[in-house]
Amino acid sequence: METKIDFTLNGKKVSVTSDPMRRLVDVLRDDFSLEGTKEGCGEGECGACSVIKDGLLVTSCLVPIGAVQDSEVLTIEGLSETERGKCLSEAFADGGAVQCGFCIPGMMMAADYLLMGNPHPSETDIRLGISGNLCRCTGYDLIVESIKLASERGQGLW
Amino acid sequence: MGGQTGMKEKEIANPIRRVDAIAKCTGKQKYLADYHFPGMIYARMVRSTIARGKIIDIHVPSLPDGYYFISYKDIPPEGKNELWMIQKDWKAFAEHEVRYVGETIGLLCGPDRNMLAALREKVVIDYQETEAAISIEEGLACKGGAFVGENNIFCDMTTNSGEDVTKVFARADRVFEETYRTGFQEHVHLEPNGAAVIKENGRFVVYASAQCPFYIRKSICGLLALKPEDIIVRQTSTGGAFGGKEHFPDVLCGPLLVACNKIGKPIQLAFDRSEDMAFSVKRHPSKTTIRTALDKQGNIMGMDIDILYNVGGYLSCSFVVLQRGVFHATGCYAIPSTRIRGRGVATNTFPSDAFRGFGAPQTLFAIERHMCHLATFLNMEPLELKKKYLIKQGDRTNTNGKIFEEVKLPEMIRQITDASDYYRKVKEYKPGCLKGIGLSVYNHGGAFTGNGEQVLIKAHVKLHKYSDGTVEILIGSTEMGQGFQSACRKIVSQILDISIDKTIYENPDTSRVCDSGPTAASRSTMIVGKLVQDAAEQMRDRYAQEDDFEVETVYKHPEGFPWDQEKFQGDAYIAYGWGAAVVEVKVDPLTFEVDTKGIWVSHDVGHPLDELVIHGQVNGGVMQSLGYASMELLENKKGYFKQDSLSDYVIPTSMDFPPMESFLVDNPYPFGPFGAKGMGELVFNGADSAYVEAVSKAINRKICEIPIPPETIMELMEHGN
Amino acid sequence: MVSTFIPRTLQEALAIRRETEAHPFAGGTDLMVAYYRGVGVTPVFPWPVMLISGLEELKGIQKDTQGNVIIGALEISAHIAENPLVPWHVRQAAGRMGAISLRNQATIGGNIGNASPKGDLPATLILLDAMVELQRVGAKRLMKVDDFILATKKTQLAPDELITKVIIPEPQKEFTYVWYRKIGTRRANAISKLSLSAAITLSEEGLIEDFRASSGAAGPKVERSREVEKLLIGRDIHDIEKLLPSFLDAYDTVICPHAMPEFRRLSTRKMLQYFLLQCVKRPQSQIII
Repeated sequence: METKIDFTLNGKKVSVTSDPMRRLVDVLRDDFSLEGTKEGCGEGECGACSVIKDGLLVTSCLVPIGAVQDSEVLTIEGLSETERGKCLSEAFADGGAVQCGFCIPGMMMAADYLLMGNPHPSETDIRLGISGNLCRCTGYDLIVESIKLASERGQGLW
Repeated sequence: MGGQTGMKEKEIANPIRRVDAIAKCTGKQKYLADYHFPGMIYARMVRSTIARGKIIDIHVPSLPDGYYFISYKDIPPEGKNELWMIQKDWKAFAEHEVRYVGETIGLLCGPDRNMLAALREKVVIDYQETEAAISIEEGLACKGGAFVGENNIFCDMTTNSGEDVTKVFARADRVFEETYRTGFQEHVHLEPNGAAVIKENGRFVVYASAQCPFYIRKSICGLLALKPEDIIVRQTSTGGAFGGKEHFPDVLCGPLLVACNKIGKPIQLAFDRSEDMAFSVKRHPSKTTIRTALDKQGNIMGMDIDILYNVGGYLSCSFVVLQRGVFHATGCYAIPSTRIRGRGVATNTFPSDAFRGFGAPQTLFAIERHMCHLATFLNMEPLELKKKYLIKQGDRTNTNGKIFEEVKLPEMIRQITDASDYYRKVKEYKPGCLKGIGLSVYNHGGAFTGNGEQVLIKAHVKLHKYSDGTVEILIGSTEMGQGFQSACRKIVSQILDISIDKTIYENPDTSRVCDSGPTAASRSTMIVGKLVQDAAEQMRDRYAQEDDFEVETVYKHPEGFPWDQEKFQGDAYIAYGWGAAVVEVKVDPLTFEVDTKGIWVSHDVGHPLDELVIHGQVNGGVMQSLGYASMELLENKKGYFKQDSLSDYVIPTSMDFPPMESFLVDNPYPFGPFGAKGMGELVFNGADSAYVEAVSKAINRKICEIPIPPETIMELMEHGN
Repeated sequence: MVSTFIPRTLQEALAIRRETEAHPFAGGTDLMVAYYRGVGVTPVFPWPVMLISGLEELKGIQKDTQGNVIIGALEISAHIAENPLVPWHVRQAAGRMGAISLRNQATIGGNIGNASPKGDLPATLILLDAMVELQRVGAKRLMKVDDFILATKKTQLAPDELITKVIIPEPQKEFTYVWYRKIGTRRANAISKLSLSAAITLSEEGLIEDFRASSGAAGPKVERSREVEKLLIGRDIHDIEKLLPSFLDAYDTVICPHAMPEFRRLSTRKMLQYFLLQCVKRPQSQIII
């Protein structure tokens, strides 16, 4: 039962005709070849599939495309094009936040979302801000440090 | 190592930006599920839903055009239904016998994943179910009848040191005996298992999220009666592994190879998380009994240790896991006389396999608990007793070998007891006051045991200089997050004095690179890194003069470290990584939840190749170890894992533990690159014991088993000793 | 082939519901997990589904002239957690549901309608005698949440009804002391193993004018007993030590008797005891921790 869904993806108006229950993560990866968004669990637990939809951080594995009509969606690819995204990437790279990297796109989205709401977060704020993103490699400490670094370097970006 | 490496040693430790960091941050890094091939179809696994029995019939629904059900029947007559890990016992497809829930029965293949999901729901398998053995005890008792040998024992090994333990115990004044248990643990690498097989120019090419591409081709080639070199394996950037992708990729790649051979199309198999949780290899549960003989003055005369690991339905690499467990059973202590026996028990559970620490965490947990409880028994403070028996340079090991390096544990203990104010707190926090602080010491023997590097692996390393001045590192070692690609490129860049941008190290393709051995056993830096350093040093003099040439180095085991693999006697390891951890906790009297107040750790990894990478590895390993102790409960009920989703199997989030304070001591290892030793697994091996000791003190109860979630803490407080 | 509807208005949604009994799909955080079928696979539901997260009419948080707090059924728990109009207990529960992204997707209507015993919001709503408004074409009715949720995954929602609002009445008098504790499987992003919400209103002299307690994840549905609460109402807080043993035993019987892990019983007991003993001390802060 295909429906036409119009939405804005990384700043561009796009359209997809699909079963409205298809998951946003599958539409992004399969229809738009935006494979930076990862599926780590399919149940909204790990945060690897995080995107920003209408200004809110959400897990795209739980969002049916039918609920994306007229929405604005930002993925890691879109974030990476912005000054904020570049600041975050540099900080993550310099700060030792990256090991296997599978959680990182989701962490980047969560970090951007956190800093949008709170440009100068404390350590506790940061830990809360990424508490929905599981990482098995880093033990989180250097990701937290990297987000701090980004907030220090990114004056005025958020 | 020449004089000029003095400055290079200092430089090498300086952090650089990892070579893959930006790609990973921008979402450009590809992982297995991001690879697409023209005409690619997908596979879904059909698995056993019983723990033990016989397959009577498989009812496959009628398949639309382009859909296939692949089973053992599709293995060509000249092929063998075997996955060659250590033994060839693990089948690629179950035929008639089923040994565990989740055993591969077939692959449903086709172009549309929605259709595959629908078809898979319609597959019906008739079984004749028989009684299954799940726990170590049930396996030993041969519940349902032995299905491995006569007594369900996959492997049985003993090692002795010092005077005959029976004589020692005969003269003992007292014997202190206790049993310790550890549970299953799931890797939860954020990228689930995945592989793809295609045909390229008439050859099969395997793409896999994997640690050991050369293992894969050796394991699966027999299915089609091919030779290992007939199959090309290309590792894809691996989103975490921790041992869960050391042998387990064979279980995906074998069936995929058979399917690709039959169907003639590229096929991808990507597990979803629920499959990965429920149907992939885990850490071996263990039961270790330690008996200590004491003289009248309370000195330790000897230890008799019995170790049992729950292997599961097939051997996988359990022999080697158990072996390491045996060699680490006396931890960081010099014990005058020892007998250590290890047995791997067959049960009808998903085979357990490699997991960071590889058998050592289980026995190191046991010995640390034992020393703490023995201290109480002898009216000593645990650290006081531990210090008395700390092994030193020149001491004999439990395989009648020697410790060759300086053991810097005393300095490391000083670092963390100072930083944590351990001595004041251990006095101030009276047992049962709900605050506690615990200290553990641990180690990890570097690389393959004994002469395994020489006899089994024989690592080769090749460097190729191209006429544009770039140098490619052609080795089979894989990047799975631990930073090895960056480390090797750093080594080559330093030695040849060229920019790191002029070095190349791509994910290995077995048709292009040397077999440098598995990316496991914490051997990559220590063994392969050293060979890379040697090759670069050989290249150095020729670099300026020659345009295009290769240098190859082969591992040579240093002289003077004898090892008898039959009797398990001699130098099991040339060098060890060493660690010490302090954990402080506060227990909530209302909810029995534990609030960790501080974590202080120190490690000896020889010499750091990159301080930032080491920092990250320490954080990750310690966190995984704390999860192992505190929350990662994984129960197997009648063959099924009860906690089979990420909401039920809980790993730590960013809010579960405070930031760690991490120290290093410098202790350069003469046979390692720039003095470095292995560290990937060491960092897992001890925080769990420190945490448990802290909680034990806080609630004034003995704890001999992990994990200890709040329910268990409640049990201990209400009903414990 | 099951249908998916995307109504644009509440009326349209009610009409579809009447015709097809299509299940309302709000945030999807329960349904998408329950019907997950693999990577790249679209979930398939055994009934028609209606995507309603776009219905603006079902959003909004206001206070009416009687002091009742009205929360639209499609309000996400992130908004509920930070809105000062929402009573304290409900904000606590909303702020601890899952993780940030879950709170940005999960709705109060979905949480109540799903009626999972581990759901976070119902225990606090039941504590506060909250009601749900249920609408069908041409009719509305109100019902207490405690009556609406019958058992695990069972509610009184008729096949042609939708939850449209949650109404939380203002208590007669402001609570003197409040308690909320969720024990999760870990410190964040956790499913509830147990929750205890409690509130007490004391006169100047220490007379217990109101006392309430509700336990979440302690049985097939939220456990709250007015009878047991009455054991304390009208008594003097200074007598609490004498009253505690029989009160705690009585509360214990309220929590599901079948296969109730000792951990949950004991922890509930300790938390209640702690809360009440703290109240005797008449601390400054309204929030007991």
